[in-house]
Amino acid sequence: MTLDMPFLKQLAPSMKRPLAFSASTLLATVVLLFVGILPERKTIHATDNNLQILNARLTQMRADIANADQQKRKTEEALAERDALIASGVIEPLLGSFAMRGKTLLDPIAQRTGFHIENVRELPPIQLQLPKIHPEQTHCRQPIEFTGQGSYFQITDFITQTESNNPMATLSSLLILAMPNTPENHKAILTFEWPAKGEKAKAPSTKGK
Amino acid sequence: MKSPLHLDLLKEEERLSSSPIRLRVLLPLITTFFLLCALLVWGLFEIQVLGKRKLMANVENAVKSVTPVHAAVLASRDQEKEMRAGVQQLSLYKHARNVFGPTLSIIAAQVPTNIQFTEMRIFPPQTASEPSRSVNPPPAPTNTLERVSLRIAGRTKGSRASESVNDLMAALQTAAFTNVFRSVSIPKGAFRLDTSRNQSALTANESLLFEITCECEPRRFE
Repeated sequence: MTLDMPFLKQLAPSMKRPLAFSASTLLATVVLLFVGILPERKTIHATDNNLQILNARLTQMRADIANADQQKRKTEEALAERDALIASGVIEPLLGSFAMRGKTLLDPIAQRTGFHIENVRELPPIQLQLPKIHPEQTHCRQPIEFTGQGSYFQITDFITQTESNNPMATLSSLLILAMPNTPENHKAILTFEWPAKGEKAKAPSTKGK
Repeated sequence: MKSPLHLDLLKEEERLSSSPIRLRVLLPLITTFFLLCALLVWGLFEIQVLGKRKLMANVENAVKSVTPVHAAVLASRDQEKEMRAGVQQLSLYKHARNVFGPTLSIIAAQVPTNIQFTEMRIFPPQTASEPSRSVNPPPAPTNTLERVSLRIAGRTKGSRASESVNDLMAALQTAAFTNVFRSVSIPKGAFRLDTSRNQSALTANESLLFEITCECEPRRFE
């Protein structure tokens, strides 16, 4: 491919050389503009943005670190609050048995009130509602059924004292049946539920955002 | 008079411009100036980039140096969130706790002499009997209220049998019980003759069966 320009042919040789030089320097300028300056400018902008983000992150991190003591205190407070709640009546199985745990807890009360416990049975756990922010370690409602006999007042005393001594225990179901042969003595099936450790949920995906 | 003869031997392209600076000099100068300017700008940009990269490396190093301490702070924050969420869930349970003992204790004092209770029942909480069919079942129950009701079944006899049952119902609606019982009612058909007993005895001293349903304050998991 040749450049056929009659206008160039008419130029004097003394003019052709400066023109060629000018054209090549102009071309070099344009090349420099597009290959060097503009990409460099883009790099500067990108670096500025990254630097800004990184600086903001560093500032946030330093602010977080400056509040580390406060955060530690908050965490300890939350831990203490949760431990206090757990200590107030979140039950754990006794050698793998919630029924035996329940019996251990309520036997002394039964002896005090005269309610005779004949049988203790662990019922399937019931899922407990979750708060807006889900904990990883969830809790469930663990019902334990106590079957026994006693007078009406022995039964109600047993319920009252169980409720007052176990601030987390809730009477979730009750059946008091009159027995024809023993009018003063009734059969009672009482189900108390306690909170207990449930499943460990998967870590929420929003964590760390 | 003879006029002098001018002979013009210059070719067209050999004619000089009237400008003091010739175009063949000016044009290369201008373009060279532009090129130099561009080189200068490029150089300045390059210096700027190098400076910013160095600065960025410094900030990155600073970020790296504080990352372990920061990670510990974030872990502590996550732990706090976990603890608070655990406390909230247990608080839901605690808030939904109903106390029945004192109320059940004072019921006996309200029972007229001609009434005998045969059964008292608080029904267990209803849980989903079959697994959820939805694609993404909720991880926990979403209902915040749980209905609780106490059913009292009994027997009465004598001339004032119905009045006694009414008295008992009225007593269960007094202030001593309203903190636990929201409403007290006799379900339709629940007040009836006790036909299982000896029919001959009914005429003289008829025995009546009744059921009273006490709708309790619901458990509020809120």
